[in-house]
Amino acid sequence: MTTRLRDVLHTTAAQAPAYQVEQRALATARRTRRRRATAVAAALVLVVLGGLVLPAARTSPVDPAGRDEPGALPDRIGLPPVGSLHATDRPRTGPASVIFTGEAGRLTYDDECSLVTVVDGDTDAYRVVRSGWEMTAGTDVVLSPRGRWIAHDPQRGDPRVDIIDLVTGATRQLRSGVAGTVGTEPAAWSPDGMSLVVRDSVPIHLDRSDHRRQLNLIRLDDGSSVRLAEAPSGTVPGVVVAFAPGGDRLAWQTGRVVTVAHIDGSVIASFPLAPGTELAGKGAWTPDGRWLTVARRDDARWTLRRIEPATGADGGALGTAGVDDVVGLQLLGWTATGVPWVVSYLPHPPEAATYTRPFPNDDRPVYGNIGSVEVLSLPPDGQPPTLLLTAPQEVVSLDIAAEVIRAGRTRAADPPGGVGGRFWIWTALIVFAVGGIAAYRSRKQLALWWENRQLRR
Amino acid sequence: MSQTFHEFVVHRSPALSRTAYLLTGDHQLAEDLLQSALARTYRHWRRIRDGDPEAYVRRVMYHQQVSWWRRRRFTERLEADPAPAQAGHPDPSDAAALRVTLAAALRQLTPRQRAVLVLRFYEDLTEAQVAAVLGCSVGTVKRHGHDALVRLRAVAPELVDPVPERSAR
Repeated sequence: MTTRLRDVLHTTAAQAPAYQVEQRALATARRTRRRRATAVAAALVLVVLGGLVLPAARTSPVDPAGRDEPGALPDRIGLPPVGSLHATDRPRTGPASVIFTGEAGRLTYDDECSLVTVVDGDTDAYRVVRSGWEMTAGTDVVLSPRGRWIAHDPQRGDPRVDIIDLVTGATRQLRSGVAGTVGTEPAAWSPDGMSLVVRDSVPIHLDRSDHRRQLNLIRLDDGSSVRLAEAPSGTVPGVVVAFAPGGDRLAWQTGRVVTVAHIDGSVIASFPLAPGTELAGKGAWTPDGRWLTVARRDDARWTLRRIEPATGADGGALGTAGVDDVVGLQLLGWTATGVPWVVSYLPHPPEAATYTRPFPNDDRPVYGNIGSVEVLSLPPDGQPPTLLLTAPQEVVSLDIAAEVIRAGRTRAADPPGGVGGRFWIWTALIVFAVGGIAAYRSRKQLALWWENRQLRR
Repeated sequence: MSQTFHEFVVHRSPALSRTAYLLTGDHQLAEDLLQSALARTYRHWRRIRDGDPEAYVRRVMYHQQVSWWRRRRFTERLEADPAPAQAGHPDPSDAAALRVTLAAALRQLTPRQRAVLVLRFYEDLTEAQVAAVLGCSVGTVKRHGHDALVRLRAVAPELVDPVPERSAR
């Protein structure tokens, strides 16, 4: 039935000439390659341009903390999820209400470096910051008064402070300019967020076996610095630094001595602390700027007292209730109504008696004795403390934005669980990589499949 | 040792040209089809040169032909009913006239029907091999082959062996 058809097909085909199309085919192939290369280059340019333009377009130029509503204090915090996004990752959280560090597995990396956890001002979004050292929030990683910036010492071997902008994700590197410094760590923000007090370590010997310590105030707008203090070997200047509400004066504790000075470095007063007392914390100045506050320990009870900033003379108890059975207190700030908020350090183990020992010079409190932290408000009329925030075990330090304290608002919190955004990003990358390898290895079959698919369309 | 693309084209162009012509039924279209297939082959030459480049080119031509038809089918849509055999057809005994008839008849087929005919009756592939080349099922090949022969029988019965008539009893 088809014999004739076969014959006709062969006869007809035999009459067809050999088409001379090689050069045209080569030209077509090269043109196609050029077009594809151009398209790929254009796509890459668009991606790069998008990466450059989108951050500027999507980032609010205004500090969202400048949104008139400061954040609220969460009533509890949790450990950050595994694979949490970093503070510089998208999407940004905006100004934070709280930062904290600790010894739990999800709060450290490389065995001895801290993952500083950042809690958004209004939501339960968590971010982390990798520091080059073991950090304690409020002492050497500090949150700016409005919660927008975090200052920390990012890495060993490079003496600088990194200031992370939680709104833009940008990081500013700040150097103290101290000759010979081998380490710069932040200590405190000025109330306007325009200056930062930093501690520098300068080796005394070539083998760096000993250091002298300097306390400097750096203005962030022009980079100028003022030397505030220098301490001999073994003493940390400014283990606690507190700015007066107007920002024109500050006080710091070095060993058992408190120094009060203007921000130009001129000393107003310097006096020893009474036995058993410590400068209370970054909120040590009373809201009217007339008094400094110290925390006094009587066995296992801590109370707040006023002292005269010009002389150190005792001004009497603050009138707030004492806090019992804690390792220490740090006064972080005051609400607009004059109520102090403190972070209290719970002992670990709870029944240990060692936490009542005096603090060594450079550890306020002794972090090895801390099991967890709580935030309390201490009503001025002596009413019992109000518990504002609880933390999981092994959270040992915490800092709160001054404006959040001033606003005095708290919120019910639901800390995030599961895994964080970076976990999913890495999972997706690994899946793509494995899929890409598999696709490459079976590229011939895929090419055939694709051609057949095109054919069937 | 791998042959160069130029060597491949020089040696295989005549056979590929014949297939292209049967697929298109038109010299100009056949040239375009072969050029396009060779351009694509050249882009992937490093990958296929150690295999069977000719089979690749043929496969590209078959797929390309169907693809082109799909893009242009609004201009090539077949009529619902096949055109009846023309009374003025040339004498089938004349080879030249038979080729003209074949070209005209092939234009009455869809590209896939044409491809099935060429693969089955020119390349002498089995239905399973045709299905593998075209990336479709054997059933599809059978259907297209059957439809193609029915259409050929309608438009150019002289190209197909006559069906023996049953003697009346």
